Amino acid sequence: MGTESRKKALHYFFDKVVGPLGFKFTPDAELADFLLEQEVMLEGKHGIPFCPCQPLRHDRARDMQIVCPCIPFHRKHFDAIKRCWCGLFVHKDVIDPDSLPQLSPKDVGLE
Amino acid sequence: MSDKFIPAISTDEIAPGGMKSVELDGREIVICNCDGTYYAMQRRCGHMNAPLELGTLDGKFVTCAMHCAQFDVTTGQALSGPVPADVGNESLPPRLAAFLQHVGTLMKDIRTESIRTFETKVEAGWVHVAP
Repeated sequence: MGTESRKKALHYFFDKVVGPLGFKFTPDAELADFLLEQEVMLEGKHGIPFCPCQPLRHDRARDMQIVCPCIPFHRKHFDAIKRCWCGLFVHKDVIDPDSLPQLSPKDVGLE
Repeated sequence: MSDKFIPAISTDEIAPGGMKSVELDGREIVICNCDGTYYAMQRRCGHMNAPLELGTLDGKFVTCAMHCAQFDVTTGQALSGPVPADVGNESLPPRLAAFLQHVGTLMKDIRTESIRTFETKVEAGWVHVAP
């Protein structure tokens, strides 16, 4: 199975999911490519493209909440920081993704 | 790849996004309508031989209905293997649990292989395939 082909497929599928949620792929193409590659590796290992920036807890119910794109499970948090946790997706109006810090739920008053 | 094209199916038999299986020259083939462009591939999944036309075609990617292995219909390349099953947190009856464990052991070493694709052309409202 080719990594590049899988990355393209994931890009295609994810794009269809995140668009209606008000998100898009980060304009930082290099970062998007890197993160997708990590997801392809995680999928190869676990069978599921988990978020590469969040730990697996080996609790299925919790782990399924970090299957990329995990926006629906962290909607308030990601809407507050205008990006997903790892930055693969940003709000559609974001032009400069580097201007968005990676703030925790606590940082934005959600915990 | 053979240069012998065989009329396989009328173009109006498959709606965009649809798939249909045919048998040509002794081969089981699935024809996919990807928004008006037709692709042909082997019918059997590269994972466990399930018929791919029972799966889902999304863009140029087909997902097998059996274990969700995915393939690129334009190249036949395997994109992902089976998705792990969820047996939930409930404890299973011992005989079923033992059976599933046995199946799991058998499936552990099964690889998802790329599948074969076939050349197509459309002429006079028919999809022709070179099997």
